[in-house]
Amino acid sequence: MLELQQLSRHFGGVKALDQLDLTVNKGEILGLIGPNGSGKSTTVNLIAGLYQPSSGSLRFKGQDIGALPVHERAALGMARTFQNIRLFGNLSVWQNVWAARVVRESGWAGVQARWLASGRQARDEVRQLLAFSNLADKADTLAGNLSFGEQRRLELARAAASGAELLLLDEPAAGMNAEEIEELDQRIRALRDRGHTILLIEHHMELVMEVCDRVAVLNFGRKIAEGTPAQVQDNAAVRAAYLGSDETVAEPAATATATA
Amino acid sequence: MDFYLGLAQVIGVHTLLGLSAWCVLHTGQVSLAQGGFFAIGAYASGMLTSMVGWPLWLALPAASVISALVAIAVGFPALRVKGLMLVVATTAFAEIVRLVFFNLTWRVPGPDGNLVGPDGSLGFGGIRYFPSNGWTSGEIVTLIWGLVAVVMLVLAWLDRSRVGTLWRAVGEDEVAAQSVGINLTAAKVSAFGIGGAIAGVAGAVFAHYTTHIEHSNFTILLATFAIAYPILGGLSSLLGTVLAVVFIQGILIEGLRFLGDWRSLLFGALILLMMLIRPSGMITSPLGRLLRGGREPDGVAPRSASGKEKAHA
Amino acid sequence: MTYLDLLDLVQSVIDGVLFGTIYALIGIGFTLIFGVMHKINLSYAAASVGAAYLSLLIVQTAPPALVFVAAALVGGVLGALVYVICFRFLPLNKPLATLMSTVGMLLLIEEAIVHATAGMPQNYPAMFVGSNIDIGPLSLRGDLLFVFALGCAAMVGLTLLLKRTRLGLATRAVSQQATAARLCGMNITTTNLSTFVIAGLLGGTAGAMAGAAIGVLSPLLTLPLTVKGLVVTVIGGLGSIPGAIVAGLLVGGFENLFQFWRGVSERDIYVMLLLFAFLVFRPGGLFAPPAGRD
Repeated sequence: MLELQQLSRHFGGVKALDQLDLTVNKGEILGLIGPNGSGKSTTVNLIAGLYQPSSGSLRFKGQDIGALPVHERAALGMARTFQNIRLFGNLSVWQNVWAARVVRESGWAGVQARWLASGRQARDEVRQLLAFSNLADKADTLAGNLSFGEQRRLELARAAASGAELLLLDEPAAGMNAEEIEELDQRIRALRDRGHTILLIEHHMELVMEVCDRVAVLNFGRKIAEGTPAQVQDNAAVRAAYLGSDETVAEPAATATATA
Repeated sequence: MDFYLGLAQVIGVHTLLGLSAWCVLHTGQVSLAQGGFFAIGAYASGMLTSMVGWPLWLALPAASVISALVAIAVGFPALRVKGLMLVVATTAFAEIVRLVFFNLTWRVPGPDGNLVGPDGSLGFGGIRYFPSNGWTSGEIVTLIWGLVAVVMLVLAWLDRSRVGTLWRAVGEDEVAAQSVGINLTAAKVSAFGIGGAIAGVAGAVFAHYTTHIEHSNFTILLATFAIAYPILGGLSSLLGTVLAVVFIQGILIEGLRFLGDWRSLLFGALILLMMLIRPSGMITSPLGRLLRGGREPDGVAPRSASGKEKAHA
Repeated sequence: MTYLDLLDLVQSVIDGVLFGTIYALIGIGFTLIFGVMHKINLSYAAASVGAAYLSLLIVQTAPPALVFVAAALVGGVLGALVYVICFRFLPLNKPLATLMSTVGMLLLIEEAIVHATAGMPQNYPAMFVGSNIDIGPLSLRGDLLFVFALGCAAMVGLTLLLKRTRLGLATRAVSQQATAARLCGMNITTTNLSTFVIAGLLGGTAGAMAGAAIGVLSPLLTLPLTVKGLVVTVIGGLGSIPGAIVAGLLVGGFENLFQFWRGVSERDIYVMLLLFAFLVFRPGGLFAPPAGRD
């Protein structure tokens, strides 16, 4: 679904990303990990269109998207969440999700979404998403007034609302406690079951190793390993890159039984 | 009585100006160009009724459309920049408009044989549509406030609709809005264009009830008033803008007449004070949300939590 | 165009460039405040003119040359006042509120001037009027040269302040990364206050220079100075002082060029169009300043 070929991005003399080759297949959950500064956020911003690549190509659903502006890439079928939550703070929970859902209606027909059948369907979808995200009873609350965990859920719901096939999740677990991460795990799986493809950028090893089908590891802007979670955990280069980091790599066997 | 009717006319026109700025401010853009569109609407409609002999009900919409078209044309390049640069760009545009009219001399023989038309620095006098057709002050006031009502209804409707939500989203966070698929340029230019149309209508009415317009009516100061109204009134509320106009024009400027020369001095001080005391504007409370008519498209009724307990942060 | 016309044109442009130092100083002031606080102080030019007016109070008792120093000092004081009233106590996340408060201040200052002088223009001491330096067929007007020299002195002073003093270092640090600066122990309030004072000193000088170059002070000066100052700031690049300097001289020169070509009443149309040209082709301005990482 998504192909990055030899993608590079320089900032002045710094090579934030150096000739990255990455493929995300339809229906999979691909994890992207790496120490701080390894280029994970740069990758997401390049895919989404907030940065332009210095060289290399980006193909989404077979189409070269390098020249497309951010909103057109979103319209093609990708959505993202942000590391530092970017909600529409003075809009209500409902309006945040509604904005993402309703922007899909093209032209002025969308203005009448209230009264047309397609409008009713759109509202049903939004209602459903809010229920799925446990935010139904907060629909009228201003997004800025939600608790941190609720805001994270809202960001996820908003990304799902746009009907995107590819979800780019930029460190969604940051700042969460163990219970919330467990919930996030379930939610990500549920999103995949609903038909989304997911690229997960994360620091929390347990989450990544549990929920991802495949994992790619970046260090200093280059990909140093790729494979199943088990393969990546055994990889010496990965271990070396993380030497000294506080993250602990979870034992796959133990956690598999825990979530059964 | 005539005094109060005159006051009502001024308040009405300034309300329209404030509403035009409200539109643009909603998408997060600070524009000092509303005075320019006001001027375009004024001159265009004046020329149409006095020089070409059009009736008002044709000239008004025509002036509005012309202003909107100019707004869209200017908006495309101007809205690519943000913040201070946009302020300066819109200021520059408004100054260009003012100076163009300052230099515009185009006079043609009118219905009674005399020359009518813009006369450079002397301005554009003889816009006599209202007197020639027997409009009373009361009727003019009704027209103005009728227009205000229509504009407010349209804006309230837009605000509730998809357009309003998208505009607000752009105003809240452009990066997030883009990432959700919103075309920033379309949103900003459409708000700018609609704002231009409203300012054009305001200008058209203004030209006709004062019968004489000139470049000094359309300074940057007017543009700062235009954005002051929604900011002071509270951006989330249409009604706040109206209240701000009534407060500033009605109470401040006219009501402080007894202070004579000092009242203009106090005016600046009062704006300062208002911002210090209530930086978000007059109406920001839940009352404001109710009044602004920004209820959810469905008035979503809270559903009982479907079973799962929420995890607590 | 005859040779004489060409000479007139060049003379005009030279005069304009010299006058442009005034725009440059105002532009620097705007850009300084914007660079440090990321906010616009719309009342800046008005405060500058106000400072020049206030400096007239000492004209009776002191030698004219001191008037300029007085204007600068008063400008600094006014700058501090503006900071305290308009910026210090307003919440940072409401840029519209600070914008409006500076508009209020602008109106206040203008009306105060009109009030105090009953709207009559006031004569301002000019220096070296009539003594010109002739270079061939062209001449550099003495009074404008003085203004130019004053402006250069102010810019040199500013550069020394910014590059050689701790205050200057703090200002530059805050403008690039306010949070980090705070964590390093810099007092943001003091830095912001001093920025306003420095800008005020420049502004007062600029106001006095305007008075000296034109010969009179009038409340009608404030709006055009504000607009031209903002134009200079944008053309020079937001936050860039060298940009403001070059842009100021540029705008001054072009202004007179346009005036020569199309007359006074159309002149500003083309100055604004020049701004638009920059916005379209070089929106970052002449010198985009080093961008800080967010």
